[in-house]
Order: sequence, then structure tokens, then C-alpha cells
Amino acid sequence: MDTEASPFESSEMLATFLTSTPLLSMSWSLCDRANTMPSQGFVAEQMGSVGHLAFSGVQLGSGPDPTSGRNLEPLVTATNGLFFPLEHQFDGEEGGGEEEGKEPVLVHAGFLRIFLSVKSNPNFQNRMLNMIQNSKSIVIAGHGIGGTVAGLCALWLLSYLQSISSNISVLCITFGSPLLGNESLSRAILREGWSGNFCHVVSKHDVFPRLFFAPLAPLNPQLHSLLQFWQLSMTSPPLALLAEKLLDEGKSQIFRTVLASLEGLAKAEQGKNVTCGFWPFGNYFFCSEDGAICNDNATFIVKMMHSLLLNSSPSCSIEDHLKYGYYVEKASLQVLTKTSFPPAELPESSYEAGVALALQSSGIACQDESVARPAKNCLKLARRMGRTPNLNCANLAIKLSKITPYRAEIEWYKATCDQSDAQMGYYDSFKQRGASKRDFKVNMNRRAKWVNGSQFYMLLVEPLDIAEYYRTGMHRKKGHYISNGRERRYKIFERWWKERPIKEEEKKTRSTFASSTQDTCFWARVEEARERLDNVRNETDPRNQALLLSSLDDFSKYASGLVERKEVSKDVVARNSSYCMWVRDYEELKSQYVQLHP
Amino acid sequence: MAVFRPGESIGFREQVVMKLCSIDMKTHQSAGKLYVCEKIRNSSELVFSFPGSWSVSDWFIRSPFGEVKVDLELFPSLKHIGLNEIATVNEAFLNRFRAILANTQFKKEVRTAVTDGKPVVFTGHSLGGPIAILATIWFLEVYIRPDPNKVAPLCVTFGSPLVGDRIVSHALRRENWSRYFINFVLRYDIVPRVSLTPLSFVEQQLQRILNFFNPRSPFYMQENVGEASGFYVTVMRNALSVVSHAACKIMGSTNLLLDTLSNFVELSPYTPLGTYVFCTGNGKLVAIKNPDAVLQLLFYTSQSNSEAVALNSLKDHLNYKHELQECLKKQSVTCLDDNHLEALPLSNDVTVEINMVLNDLGLSTRARLCLRAAGELEKQKKSNQKAIDIKMEDIERGLGKLQGYKKRCQHKVGYYDAFKLSKDKEDFDANVKRLELAGIWDEIIEMLKRNELPDEFEGRKAWIEIGTRYRRLVEPLDIANYYRHLKNEDTGPYMVRGRPKRYKCTQRWREHAERMSNESLESCFWAEVEELCIKSGNPSIRETILQLKKRVEQQIRNGDLDDDVFLKGSTFDKLLKEHSLTNLDQNDIFRGSWS
Repeated sequence: MDTEASPFESSEMLATFLTSTPLLSMSWSLCDRANTMPSQGFVAEQMGSVGHLAFSGVQLGSGPDPTSGRNLEPLVTATNGLFFPLEHQFDGEEGGGEEEGKEPVLVHAGFLRIFLSVKSNPNFQNRMLNMIQNSKSIVIAGHGIGGTVAGLCALWLLSYLQSISSNISVLCITFGSPLLGNESLSRAILREGWSGNFCHVVSKHDVFPRLFFAPLAPLNPQLHSLLQFWQLSMTSPPLALLAEKLLDEGKSQIFRTVLASLEGLAKAEQGKNVTCGFWPFGNYFFCSEDGAICNDNATFIVKMMHSLLLNSSPSCSIEDHLKYGYYVEKASLQVLTKTSFPPAELPESSYEAGVALALQSSGIACQDESVARPAKNCLKLARRMGRTPNLNCANLAIKLSKITPYRAEIEWYKATCDQSDAQMGYYDSFKQRGASKRDFKVNMNRRAKWVNGSQFYMLLVEPLDIAEYYRTGMHRKKGHYISNGRERRYKIFERWWKERPIKEEEKKTRSTFASSTQDTCFWARVEEARERLDNVRNETDPRNQALLLSSLDDFSKYASGLVERKEVSKDVVARNSSYCMWVRDYEELKSQYVQLHP
Repeated sequence: MAVFRPGESIGFREQVVMKLCSIDMKTHQSAGKLYVCEKIRNSSELVFSFPGSWSVSDWFIRSPFGEVKVDLELFPSLKHIGLNEIATVNEAFLNRFRAILANTQFKKEVRTAVTDGKPVVFTGHSLGGPIAILATIWFLEVYIRPDPNKVAPLCVTFGSPLVGDRIVSHALRRENWSRYFINFVLRYDIVPRVSLTPLSFVEQQLQRILNFFNPRSPFYMQENVGEASGFYVTVMRNALSVVSHAACKIMGSTNLLLDTLSNFVELSPYTPLGTYVFCTGNGKLVAIKNPDAVLQLLFYTSQSNSEAVALNSLKDHLNYKHELQECLKKQSVTCLDDNHLEALPLSNDVTVEINMVLNDLGLSTRARLCLRAAGELEKQKKSNQKAIDIKMEDIERGLGKLQGYKKRCQHKVGYYDAFKLSKDKEDFDANVKRLELAGIWDEIIEMLKRNELPDEFEGRKAWIEIGTRYRRLVEPLDIANYYRHLKNEDTGPYMVRGRPKRYKCTQRWREHAERMSNESLESCFWAEVEELCIKSGNPSIRETILQLKKRVEQQIRNGDLDDDVFLKGSTFDKLLKEHSLTNLDQNDIFRGSWS
């Protein structure tokens, strides 16, 4: 099967698709309306089965200037479970030794506060409820700061819809919005499969979406007047002229700082972690006078932000934030017409030609080698990285089918043990094995192959791992299996299994013993019980003894319950299995105990 | 680049096409007639020409696209066999065709032509085109499918709207019928593109546009530039949504935004079918068969920076006769097959020969990249098919091994019960083989699901045959495994919840190929037996068992099932004994036939 990357570059085609739809112009016109009536904070409209919502980029009376400082705050503590799918750390990440996994999901504190205050507004709640009831799909948009509120709103809505298992589609479109959160947020969104629900429109020069890459604390006063200038330009243009005068010097300071920080990030080697706190997520739609491209690779986005800003100027970078209406209209007209490309520069390979066209659309001239080359390179990088996870996912089913024959081999091993004369069951045979050839082969298959079947694999193989653990005496070194020795894959599989939706008919009772024991840690529990049994014998303090005895009693009840419900496989009740031997020992001990303490 | 005279490889003669076009234009004038039947002078063809009808409701029966699932009684082939998906077609067109079919005269005239061995041609211009297409599919289903040696029909349309979805095109290619359909489209003609637009976008204007085309309307050819340009932009914008979405897919984009966006826009389900012949407007013709490429061309050939194009987009629709006359003089037809597409020049450099005609179609670099992607995708599908074909040997080997296993078990209780007990090493080896084969078949099914194999794949005899053999030999083992592990207690009966797709799919292949009206569940025999065993205590099932036994005997006589099911001690044998239904005499007849 083809594992190569596609021979075509489709980020421009995706942008064309989006531009050909009415979504961008519709969202922009609502954002524009929201900007001119800041007192309300948002505008909502229902168009057939599509609900539209836009947040104003002008936020009044929201206390301290939201851009001041770059304070990030944990999403979990501040929001009381509103964004629950983003909160829980994936089990696979804990204790994996990966440092990035450690940072919690952080978002900009100021934006979060604005969103929470909008959300508590009863008017907003009503509109939202109405929209969810009447829509098949919902577009949430915003310009500038409005975009970050839209982003949070979309994240909240996605979380909420997930909790009620609704299949309403959500699309968040932002125009020139600053970054919202850190890399953990970006990764959590990827993990939930939500990156396709966000599209951030960024014009060629606009400095606002690039602002948070830079350390801003020293620029606070300048930023304040910049924000004021933008807001006044949207609400009362004559006053904006005054504000612009105030800004003057600040313009180039801001521009230089942002450009320098972006330079540092863009030049950073792949893999080296140069963090700036904030990190992009979702798709970015870069638009220029010559067209647009759309891509969701974060590294590419950062480099593109840098490349495009190189040819800009301080005043351009600030005015561009107010020109989204122009860009949207231009793009929507342009997409229908043909743009000619000078034939001499056209590479013959489909992929190279696609890259050249994409760069042309994003407004980077191919003649400008110093800018075009890095941009080209990172577009190619994005291609490779962008495709692999999807391909992996698609090929998983096929890999799984190649593993099943090995599973059958293990199953066979279990079956022969169950029937053998030793009457020990496969758990104990494996634990006490000599150098039998088949035993060895089973061991090889279990370890050598990367195995990915989930529940079945776990049911069958985990007991063997437990046997190996106790056979090699690991429990004396590291402690008991369940608390100290259990491999992470089993914990993850168990979670998958427990989280699956349970259907009614699955709750039937069994008529014969299960083919594999349903509690995969059963044998580990037996081992612990055996140890405790020895401890009881050696224990002199009667209080401790009673404690141990009661825990043994608990286990005995639990285990016999499993046996009664036939949730264990035959090997558990084989006459000489560890479990049966334990039961005999336990009964003996109990009778002794009763004699001693009548 | 192959330049050839018309008629050499796309299957039409220029004189005939010319004649068909003038018949079609004339047919529009004949008021009240459902169709016109005419002979071509100096030629044996019998022509059925369908007039257009000019009200919006004859095109879109409802918003947004007015499509409906086809009736499999009428069009049994219009489905995706493996995925079990039924094709959709435009309901308004389907209704008009049904009205014609209800007319016994039409059926009679067609039947006479077939009996006389005359070639039949279905043709139509504009909104007559879809009727011609449906009539041709109907003809193929009724006459050619039962007897491929009958004289094949021909369907020729001029400026026809699109009729069906991707599955229609897929099914026609699978049956190898696609070659009987030839659609002429003038470069700017708006009509084929309107099918890509949701009705709500053009509802206001569409009737006026149709009046412009209707020779019996007072507004016939009454130009209104303002309206035309608004209409053109709307149609092109929606066409671009459809083709850019399709282009992202064929270019292999896996960006999730693509799927999100398609929930927010109404994308037309309609796709082109058969061969398309684009007329450049200056007497040249470009023929193309790849449906993905045709879809792209529907947008890109009409893309223009000139203001005049909007009016041309209407006028072109009425210009076929004149344009074809030009073509007749020049006699230049360029055929773009998948190999050409894949290596299409990206620049419009006039020194490259093929650009003489590509430039006349007005193809930009982006358009050419999309065509390349369409060619590349088809090539990829072909190479996937090759890779799968190589695996056929592995399947054959695996089946050989299992056949041997089955034969050896013949001396015991039969392989079903031997496998269910799984006592010996041999049973275990059979299980490994079963799983290996399942891996190969699951991969094939997965590829079908992801549309990674050529449309023709499911029509190939060798695969249908090996699929049937695989299903009959291995499915009993899957059933044995299912009931051996008591999966029925967790999941429910095998037939309801446990049957793998690889068996359902291969079963449908055979059912379709042999035009069977009933499900052929011979390979699921054991699942039925197992379920009856579970209900064994219930005396009322005796009758069911008797029925099953009769059916099995019939299937053994047909060679669909082996007689080892009656072996002594097998699950079935025990079941029969329990209900005292064994009939030793009869069993002996079967016992002897096993070799």
C-alpha cells in the first residue's frame, strides 16, 4: 500500500474550496456588524439550518486591558469543567518521560475572562440554546479579540456537544486574532480531532495574530494605544486619526520586536524547543492580494508568519488588521478568474509546481529567493509531517490482521495447557516452564512483535506477563504487579474497554467458562493473596493477622464470584492451578484459625 | 498524443453525430410528443430522440438537488456491490423517463428494433439528454445484461445536465457500459454546470434561463446581459466548490477542515458519466473518459476573465449544430486517456503539440494540475489492483491448504466440527491459515471502502469466482470459531452481529454476477444449524429443521454445498438425530459422491 506522501500540494486547493463557499463573506459581514455595536458583544443570526454567531472585536468595560502582559492561566482550574475533554491528560502521556506532556493546558487569562462574562449573559445563553435546537451546523466568528472569544466559545461548544453526543458541526472562523493558548492546548485539540473545526484567517502583514510570539511586557503603553487605535478605527474613524498620532513611535517598536521574536522561532532547529508560551492550533488561512493558502501544520504556520512579515512595514502591519473586508471580497472574486503564471518559472513536477503556485497565492514572489526558499522548504516539511498520522491510522486495521495469526498461536498454547495432564492451566505452565520449545516460541512471539490488538490481546497475554513477572522474582524487587509492575499498554487498553458504549445484550450471563478470564489482573491478585497467606502464618500480632485475614476473605469472595459467573476461563479452575492451590491452602488455614480461636 | 479521425476509438461516426444533433434540435419543436423515433438514411440505426421540457420542476423536484435513490427493480446494476450502496439519480428526470416507459408504444418499438437486430441510438439535446441516458441504462439492463451478444445501444447527448451520482458512473464502468455513452459539451455551455448548483441559489433565475432555451417560448433567445452574468457567476461559484472539494480529495488531502466544511455547504451529488467530448468553440474536439477529470473540466473550461463569457454561456447551449459542422470540417479529435492526463504539460507553451488544443480549452496551470491528479489517482488505483492481483496466489495457496484439511477431516466428523473442537495441531494450523486469509480479504474490503480500486474491480470474473470459493470453504470455520468461543452469548447470533464483511461482500459479488433474486446463504449453513441447536429443546423447530434439510439437499445437488455436512457425529447430524429426522437411505446417496 502506498505510504508515500501525496504527489500534490493541496493547501491552495483547500483555500480555494473555502473561498468558493459563502462562509467567509458571511462570517466577515457579521463580524463587521458586531464590531460596530460593541455594547452587545456579539451578533447571532439563523440562516436555514446554519446558525451564525460573531463576537465583537471591540470589547468594552472588560476591566484591565486584555493584551497587557501575556499571562497564561490553566484552563482546568478557572472553568469548572466547561472544557472537560481538553482537561484530562491522556493516560499514555503520564510517566512516559516526555517533558512536554507535563505542562497543563493554558489559555490567555484576559480572553478567558471575557468569554466567561459573555457566557454568563442570559441573553447569550438564550440565543445559544436556540441555535443548538435549530441548527445542523454552527459558524462562530470574530475579528481580533473577538476571534479569541470565538475560539473559546467554539471549544466550549464542542465540549458541550460531545457531552450530549450531538452531531452538530462547529466551525470557528477568526480574522486576524492573536494566539489563544499554549502548546498543550494545541495538542489537546489535535487529540480530540478538533483541529479541522478552526480556521484562522490571517492577512499578509497583520501584526495582531503575530503579537504573542514576542515578549510584550516592555511595550505595554504602546500596545495600549495600538489597541485603542484599532478599536476606534472600527467604531469612530475620525477619533482614530488622533489615536494614530499617539501611536507613532510605538509602531516600529512593536513591529521590530515581533519580527525579531518570529525570526528566532522560525530559525530554531526542528525538534529543539524554543517556546514562547503561546502556540497556534487549527488551520491557518493566509490571504494576500494574489490568493490564499490553508494549512494546519503549526511549524509551517510559524514560519509562514515570519516569511510574510519580512516584506512588510510598521504601518502596513498595523493597517492590515483593518483590511479583512477587502481581503475577503477580493479573494471571493479572484477565485473564479484565471491567474497566469510565467511559464519559464514553472517546475515540471506536479508537486513543485503546486508549491510554486501556493507561494504565489500567499503573496511571496518566487524571485525573492531569501524569502521564498525557506517558505518552500517548510511547506514541504508540512507535507511529510501532515500526512503520516493519518496514514498510520488507516493502515492500523491491516497491521492488526497480520498480528492475529500470532494471537492464534498464544490461544493454542492456552488450549493445550488447559487440556494437558499436569492440570495446571496456561498461567502456571508458563510460570514454571522449563525449556520446552513451544513455550519458548510463545515467549518470542509475545515480546518480539509489536502487538496492537486490544482487549483480546490483553485478556490473553496479560496473564502471561504476570506469570513472567512473578517467575523472575520481579515482585520482590519492584513490589506487586498491579501497583508497580503493570505495563502502560494494559492500563490504556483497559480504559478503552471500559469507555466503550455497552449494549444491552452484552450483559447476558454465561453458560460455560469464558475462553479467557475477564479480569486480566486476576493472576496478579492471586499472587498477592498467596503472599498474604504466608504473611498470616508468620504474623504474630493478632490485630494485623485479623486485618490480613479479612482481606483474604474479600479476595476469596471476589474470586468465587467470578468463578460462579463463569467469568474466568477453564485454566483458573484447573486442579493444580495457583488459584486452586491457594483455595486449598486458604481453607486449611481457616480451619486451623477457627480451631485456634474458637 | 493521439490525434485521430472521429469514430475511430470513441465509437461514433461524425456524419451520424451531425444527423443526431439536427434530429434533437427538431425534436424540441414537436409539441406534446414524448419521443421521436426516426431512421437515419443510408444507415441501419434506429434513433430515439427525446425533447427537452422547460419548467424548473422538470429539472429540480425539490431543493437542494432533488435526487432520489434508484429503484433496483428498474435498474438492478446501479449500486456499489461491495459496499451495498444504492445509486441516486435526479428524480425529475427519472419521473419523466418512467412516463415514457409507461407508454407501451415505446417499449414495443424498442423490442422490434432488437428483434430485427438493428442498432438502437438514444439521443437528446439539453433536458432531453438525461432521458436518453436513463433510456440507455434501461436498455442495457433489459437486453444486454441477460445477453451481452445482442447489438449494443449508443447514447449521444448534447449539452445535457448531469443525471446521477458517483455510484451511477461507478456501476456503468464496472459493467463496462460506460463506453456506450457520449456526451458533447460546448466549452462555455452553462447547462451541464447548473447541475452542480443547489436550486436555492438559482431558483429566481432558472425559469427565465429555461425560457431563453425554449424554442416555443416568446422569450426564446432574448438576451439579457445583466441577468446572464449574475447567473453565470452563481453557477460557476458553486461548480468551483464541487470541483475544488473533489480536487482536494483526489490530491490526497487529509486535512480535517475539508470534512468540516462539507457539513456547511451543499455539495452537488451529481457527477458526469460516460465519455465526454468537449468542443473548443473553434472546431476542435477533446474526448475524455476519466470521470474525475471530466468534473474538473466542467469548471475549468468555462473559467474566463472576459465579460462576454456570461452571454456565451447561454448562447453556446443552442450552438451545437453549428459547432459540430465546424468540427466536421477540421476533423480534429484529441483523446486524453489517463496516461496523457498524468503527464499533461503545466505551461501553455505553444511549442508543445498538445497545447494547441489545451490552450483552446482555456486550461490554466491549476486546471492542468487537477487533471494530472485525476490521472495519477486512476493510475494509483490500477497499481493497487495489481498488488491485490498478486495476492490472489497467496489466497489460492491458503485455500489449497484448507481444502486439504477439509478432506482429511472427512474421515472424522467433517472439518466444521473438527475445527470447532480444535483438538489437534492440524486444527490449529487451519486456524492460522484462516486468519491469514482473513487478513488479505479484509485489506481488499478496506480498499474498496476507501475507493482505492478501479471501478472495474468488482466486475472481474476471477475475483468473483475465488471470492465464492473462499466464502464457501472458510466461512464455516469462522462460524465454528464464533460458536466455539461462545461469542453468540456476548454478541448475539452470528448472522445478526457476527458475520464479517468479507463474506457479505463476496456473497453480493456472486449474487450480482449471476443475477440472483434471492440471497444465497449456503456458506452460512452452520450458523443456522448452531442457532437451531440452541433452541433444540423447543419441539416447534422440527419443521424448520426439515425445511433446512430439504434446502441443503437441493444445494448439494446444485454443487453449492458439500455433502460432508451429513457426516456421522457432526453437529447437523446430531441435530437431525435429536429430532429423529435422519433418513439413512437418502444420506447414502450423498455419502457416495464425496471424493
